[in-house]
Amino acid sequence: MMQIYKIDANTVQVICCPPEDVNRGDYLLIEDVNSERSLIIQVINSGYVNVPGILEDILRSSSTEKLEGVDLDPLEVKSFVNIIKDAELFTCKIRGALNKGKLSNNVSWIPPRSTSRLRKLPDVDLIKLLENEPQKGLDIGTLKGGGQISININSIDGKLNIITGKKGTGKSHLSKLLLIQLVSRGGICIVFDVNGEYINLGYTKNEGKTSLYDRFIPLTPGNDFKVTPQYAGLGVFLRVMENVLGLPATSAWEFRRIWKELKKQDALTLNNLNSAIRAVSNNYIQDALLRRFESLINTKFFTDDWSVATVLEAEMDKMDKGGALIINLQNINSKFRQIVVEFLLSKLSQLLENWGLKAVFLFAEEAHLYLRETYWNDVVTRMRHLGMFTTFITNQPDSIHKSVYRQADNIFLFNFTNEHDLEIVSRAAMIDVETVNIIARQLPPHHCLMLGKVLNNFPLIVRINSLKEKTMGETRLFFSDLKIKKS
Amino acid sequence: MQVLDFSQKAPYDFIELGNTSLKNTIESSHRLRNIDSPTNYIGNFNRLNEHEFIVNFDEKKLDMIRLVYTDEKTHIFGLDTSSIELGETSNGLLCAVRGTIVWKDKVKYNYTRYGPFIFHVTENNKQFLYNKLRQMYFGASKAAPTPDVWWMPGRIRNILERWLQGQLSQSCEDSVILWDGSLTAWTIDSPVALIDDMLQMARSRGNVVLAFSKKTKFTIFGRRIADLINNRDAPCLLDLDEIIRQQYGNYLCFFGRVYAAKLTPSQFSFRLDVDREIERETGINAVQKLISNDIVVESYPETLRLAHILSRFSASEIIGMQRLIAENFGIRTVFRPNIRQILFGPYGGGLVNNKMIL
Repeated sequence: MMQIYKIDANTVQVICCPPEDVNRGDYLLIEDVNSERSLIIQVINSGYVNVPGILEDILRSSSTEKLEGVDLDPLEVKSFVNIIKDAELFTCKIRGALNKGKLSNNVSWIPPRSTSRLRKLPDVDLIKLLENEPQKGLDIGTLKGGGQISININSIDGKLNIITGKKGTGKSHLSKLLLIQLVSRGGICIVFDVNGEYINLGYTKNEGKTSLYDRFIPLTPGNDFKVTPQYAGLGVFLRVMENVLGLPATSAWEFRRIWKELKKQDALTLNNLNSAIRAVSNNYIQDALLRRFESLINTKFFTDDWSVATVLEAEMDKMDKGGALIINLQNINSKFRQIVVEFLLSKLSQLLENWGLKAVFLFAEEAHLYLRETYWNDVVTRMRHLGMFTTFITNQPDSIHKSVYRQADNIFLFNFTNEHDLEIVSRAAMIDVETVNIIARQLPPHHCLMLGKVLNNFPLIVRINSLKEKTMGETRLFFSDLKIKKS
Repeated sequence: MQVLDFSQKAPYDFIELGNTSLKNTIESSHRLRNIDSPTNYIGNFNRLNEHEFIVNFDEKKLDMIRLVYTDEKTHIFGLDTSSIELGETSNGLLCAVRGTIVWKDKVKYNYTRYGPFIFHVTENNKQFLYNKLRQMYFGASKAAPTPDVWWMPGRIRNILERWLQGQLSQSCEDSVILWDGSLTAWTIDSPVALIDDMLQMARSRGNVVLAFSKKTKFTIFGRRIADLINNRDAPCLLDLDEIIRQQYGNYLCFFGRVYAAKLTPSQFSFRLDVDREIERETGINAVQKLISNDIVVESYPETLRLAHILSRFSASEIIGMQRLIAENFGIRTVFRPNIRQILFGPYGGGLVNNKMIL
């Protein structure tokens, strides 16, 4: 039986005696039968009720440890005493209300302590409250009671998401799950894959091809992902030279002049650019341009050969039923990564601005490794309005710009134990610090606390579904059965 | 000596009478007792009944007995009981009693705990309850005057204690049996014949009964008798028997030889009664066996301390029993307004008739 003990602002304390199967993260309903109103509360912490005399009992039993004995307890009082000792105190947060069965935001009233009825909200009722429509949703996972959770595609479409948690808790797993489901529903996605984990999503664990095999297009910059200078355009080239390679403004002006001259002559090739730079009379400018230009050439990301060059529009056309470009950033250096990302973000912005692309879902793993400072705000504001909907995936919450937390629509929070990390995540406007601090510490692997619009603003602990696709997110181990290949 | 199994015997009448008293509860608005600091009434029965006596004797004449440790192995048995009020009803009160026997073998302490036994004592049933229990356990054929309802928990506890003492007397052999309290008989709680029978039974089986009083109102030279031994070297006894008996033998029936006992070098000492009918040397030897076979802390035997601890009710046990009564016997719990608290608020004090109030 559960009863209200205290209500203080947004916090409700509930006493449960005898103990029931209620855990942190579960939802309870406080029903005021007389007014047909109910409060929806979520258990964020649980402990024992501070029963008078408990200290005495513990001390007594500890002093009697060397004792063995028999209790002739005809009334079986001990079982009642144990119930009292095990009485639980739940600290809960008010998440919403029901008024005559309809969801309401009016939580300004308090239910009567003496007559209110408390019960655990079953999965079925909870899922109803989430306005979950499975046919429109992305199958994500299950609740503790087994209820299937699918998130409404509209709560992801046009939204900014963060997937965070410590290493090995299942962040990438969730992002792959989201990616696969978006692709299967016709979504166009781009993944910045820093660890090469997504490149085999078209394969099953047994190396067979999945039904979505053709929709995942892995591209490795410098290998099967090259672009021509004409396609990249002056803007991208200059941004790369200035922002990534640190080209001074004067030299940039000279480069712009060279570029425009060659373009006018319809002779914009890497070779011609090289020659033109070498012909610059000012030695300092020539040297500055040449060093940076050679760095670009060495990446092998740029080519004059259109037959091997990638055209994003053409790749997008291949994905008319949905698909994902997996940009494999594994094994390439930091500057090169930034060059690729700079190119892609600029090109995608252009495509979106010109309506060459309707919208795109961007999955950015460990974005701090390749996203320059000025891009953070651009990604969460301008690019979002253009139709680029980003999901950041990181195990270092402090690596994501704080404005992103404020703007985030959904947070998928996996286990964290570090207080500093939790403090950063709790900056998100949608959740109180206490919930994050207590629940996130207790989450087992592959369980995440979903926060935000994704579940109608009801924070929920969800066990993430497993994948049949090959994920490659596992760390290679020395003491494993895998053998080295002899040359 | 074989280790005894006390769990085979139970005070069945306590169970039956307690259940009957609860089942017959009618119109039972139940005022819960305070559980912040439960007042356990423990088995120190003589505390309430003894008066203060002043004896004028020369302290130097008192016989001091030095105790020595012995290798002789003996089983030590101790027992204690406790009672508690659980709440009021419209026509009486709810109470619980519990008792524990503790004994020490070579390596560890063992116990058998009896109860709790819960009673609903009313003006209507108190006479029946009390006399039925006395009849069953004291073998009393005549009805005794029944005390006020408020004294009944203590009286029921006393009957349980006497039953446990009787059990030990007839079950143990060649052992030291520790009682909590004294071996003085004079009240309705301590019928002379009953105490005499129990001691005789114990004696016939080679046992020695020792009774420890944590508190006594006997004084000599204006001092607590236990204090007379404070400046002596432990372990020792101070024989006060002659003084006490000469002075008070006419009023009280002393079944025990009265000593002041200081068993360890500590600030505490106790009144110790040793069965009078055994040889004085045998009695002293029994005390020596006690200090050699039991752990003695602050002059008090561990066996008796554990019996006390195990008998005592904790606050959570009280809540558990209140819940049991509500669930199993359907007793409605109604809080009566506390007039004192309403009238005086924080100036009302915490104690009303020696009971804490909510």
